[in-house]
Amino acid sequence: MDDSGISTEISHDEFDPIGTLALIALYFVVLTLMWLFTYFVEFVGNAPTPTVLL
Amino acid sequence: MTDLFVDEYPEQARLVRAAFLTSFVALGIGALFGVIQALHRTGVFRIVESTTYYTVLTGHGVFLVITFTIFFLVGLYQWAVTDSLQRGPVDARLTWSWYGLMSVGTLIAAIAILAGFLDDPPDVLGSELSADVLFTFYAPLQANPIFYAGLVLFVVGTWLAGADWFRTWWAWKRDHPGERIPLPTFMVLTTMIMWYISSIGVAVAILAFILPWSLGLIDSLNPTLTRTLFWYFGHPVVYFWLLPAYLLWYIVLPKLSGGRLFSDPLARVVFILFVLLSTPVGIHHQYLDPGISEGFKFIAMTNTMFLLLPSLLTAFTVVASMEHGARQRGGTGTLNWLRALPWKDPAFTGMALAGLVFAFGGFTGIVNAGMNINYLVHNSLWVPGHIHTQVGTAVALTFMAGSYWLVPQLTGNRLVGRQIALFQVVLWFVGIVFMTNSMYRAGLIGVPRRSAEPQYAFDYEVGVGSMTELDVQLALGGVLLFVSTVLFLAIILLTAFNTDSDPLVDGTIPPALSGPEDSPRVLDDLRVWIGIALVLVVIAYAIPLASIVDRGGLFGPDVGPFPVVVDGVMYLQHGVAYVGVLIT
Amino acid sequence: MNIHAYERLWLVASMVLIVGFIVTITYGTVGLGITMVDDREETISPDDVDEDDRFQDPRVEQVGENEFEAYVVSMTFLFQPDPIEIPANNEVTFYVTSRDVIHSFTVVGTNTNTMVIPGEVSAMTVEFDEPGEYGVVCNEYCGPGHHDMEGSLIVHPEDEYSLTELSVDAPDQVGPGEDVELTISIQNGLLEDLETTVDVEVGDETLEQDVTVPGGETEQVSVTVDGDDLEPGDAEWSASVDDEVETGTVTIGDDADDGGDEP
Repeated sequence: MDDSGISTEISHDEFDPIGTLALIALYFVVLTLMWLFTYFVEFVGNAPTPTVLL
Repeated sequence: MTDLFVDEYPEQARLVRAAFLTSFVALGIGALFGVIQALHRTGVFRIVESTTYYTVLTGHGVFLVITFTIFFLVGLYQWAVTDSLQRGPVDARLTWSWYGLMSVGTLIAAIAILAGFLDDPPDVLGSELSADVLFTFYAPLQANPIFYAGLVLFVVGTWLAGADWFRTWWAWKRDHPGERIPLPTFMVLTTMIMWYISSIGVAVAILAFILPWSLGLIDSLNPTLTRTLFWYFGHPVVYFWLLPAYLLWYIVLPKLSGGRLFSDPLARVVFILFVLLSTPVGIHHQYLDPGISEGFKFIAMTNTMFLLLPSLLTAFTVVASMEHGARQRGGTGTLNWLRALPWKDPAFTGMALAGLVFAFGGFTGIVNAGMNINYLVHNSLWVPGHIHTQVGTAVALTFMAGSYWLVPQLTGNRLVGRQIALFQVVLWFVGIVFMTNSMYRAGLIGVPRRSAEPQYAFDYEVGVGSMTELDVQLALGGVLLFVSTVLFLAIILLTAFNTDSDPLVDGTIPPALSGPEDSPRVLDDLRVWIGIALVLVVIAYAIPLASIVDRGGLFGPDVGPFPVVVDGVMYLQHGVAYVGVLIT
Repeated sequence: MNIHAYERLWLVASMVLIVGFIVTITYGTVGLGITMVDDREETISPDDVDEDDRFQDPRVEQVGENEFEAYVVSMTFLFQPDPIEIPANNEVTFYVTSRDVIHSFTVVGTNTNTMVIPGEVSAMTVEFDEPGEYGVVCNEYCGPGHHDMEGSLIVHPEDEYSLTELSVDAPDQVGPGEDVELTISIQNGLLEDLETTVDVEVGDETLEQDVTVPGGETEQVSVTVDGDDLEPGDAEWSASVDDEVETGTVTIGDDADDGGDEP
């Protein structure tokens, strides 16, 4: 049984992964925002943090 | 229809089945231990004493991240090498020897761990049979020597497995001069190179220090040294769990999506990056350790951050391969193609959900890599949150989904209960979302990991929600994951006995869109990468190790053993110590 | 190598992310002054912890203006001292070592968190701005009683903080009509002078005496209660300075006589 459901063959040159680019751009934004939140709100806000004697 | 794997390579199929069987038995026990912990530490239901919790925890760790994952790995890799080189091993006796050695090692370690449940464990080799030291066995906590001996046998078994696959490849190369290494075999060989380089650390830690010390041959050791050697191995081992999942994502997932791998060259680059960067990063597990300078920690941090690169590249390649499949299946639009994916196929859906969880877990890994931010999360419940999203889902769910595709080919039997299998993978996803949501949030407010009763005299400051809500989510998630595991094991068991059926699986792997011919041949010159990897390891570890030995001595600043045995004498000792403290 | 344009773009974006993370962490170190626990302290054998100046008597000490040091010992399954008391808005350096296995010293709800490894001393300098009581836990598995390992850290408002220790030399017994003399030693652990009042109670008699103890020194105050004001029999006494209190009992009158009077 063929359950792959392939209706068209798309070769390398015909394929432009625009959907992947969109998803990965979204991932980039999400990673950046979560990082900034976790570092500057969760971490820096969790004082006191060991620091150098100035 | 092509021949099934089981018909073409019956002997190999038997070995892969045996490896999967061991793996799944461990999965069942590990999952049972997991749900016991989820209910215990949240205070929902305590079936064991809190002191016995740590026996359960040790079993959960060792059976899942050593036995379940690595036995699955050797089975999968045996399949991958055989299938992609289209030949069996040079000598099948070697193959069965490493399987036997790994099994014996596991059994010995398991006996030591499970003896923790006995009220009065017997003496073996001069000390009580027990191994409540968790998967990390940090000295000077001490287990019975047979626990360490079992681990050694197991690791030697994996080394022989690697040697077996290299031997098969060399034999293949003689028959196919000038050909590129088939991608699945390339992945197997690079994984094993990484494993050889990294497992030296744990081998030295056990053979040179911990095992002789547990036998009483040496009196003292340097805990910082053995801990550093452990983490030299302890980070690459997570890639040892992960890379078989990567193999399935690169080789099988594009096919399941109805497409072809987007780029074979980048897949090779990714695996080489793992060979190079997996090991010189282990110190990032020791950011809060005294005795290691900040400079070494900073170097480990930058290396770890660059180790993100192969995973970020993988995200693109794998998603693009899925998109290719979706578009071949008639998918259109910028994101609408996602609907065209075969979501009714449990193998596909399981792997896709695993990938989604991995993307989020990648973020939490970045936080763990972030040196100073480690003050926030170190050893909090955040860390097992990360482990359960990555190993516990990205890897475990991919293995389960991959089994739905592979087991019919290994048995010649049709998968039983496809709908239930689909439910099972979705249930796992729901379970892990509940459980890790709780773990991450609880970790950020300081709830410790590895604790039977993380309820103290003080109250945690829960920002959003409440402690009860977090506990309920963790317990609920744990129960759902356990139910999901039971369903998986039942489906596989029924499939194994579902003889006289047609497997309905097409085992062929379509070629990549961009094949190996698009990449430079040097990628296949494994000696080059071994050389560079060793240089990087020496740069990252020579000075820190020298500094640790210089500070504390090879055998430590006189640190004696602390056997972990739960009995009255121990409590008496602690009681006396405590009273002594109160008096002085 | 044949790499798709989008994938090249993602490669560049990935490098931007990686460098961005490294820059953030470097900012934490350089800009915010966050330091990692490191190898600045000498190693110490767990067997020598009892002989070490810092750890034989785990305590908090003032070492400079607005600078304190806390010497903490962790062991299965407790921390010493417990509670640890420090002032707010002062730099406190914690030195933590282990007597036995690997532990952690973790002040819950803060970034004050370190591994404690036998043979090593972890040093962390922190400044608590918010007074209150914080939980201290061990978050590294250290044996079957791991979950019982808990201590507490009390951060006092700066102006209410003292490192005063009190000891009292009092007679157990005085003859009938004799004066009772208490000698009270007040040790001021702070570097600043301590100006305070000693309150003494013997039986129903109360006395007060002002005292100034120079920083880092001990002053003795003697208080005498007239024997004629005291009833024969056992009298409770107490001496207090700020929050420190010492108590005891003194027997007034002849033991033998007292015994004889009892029915």
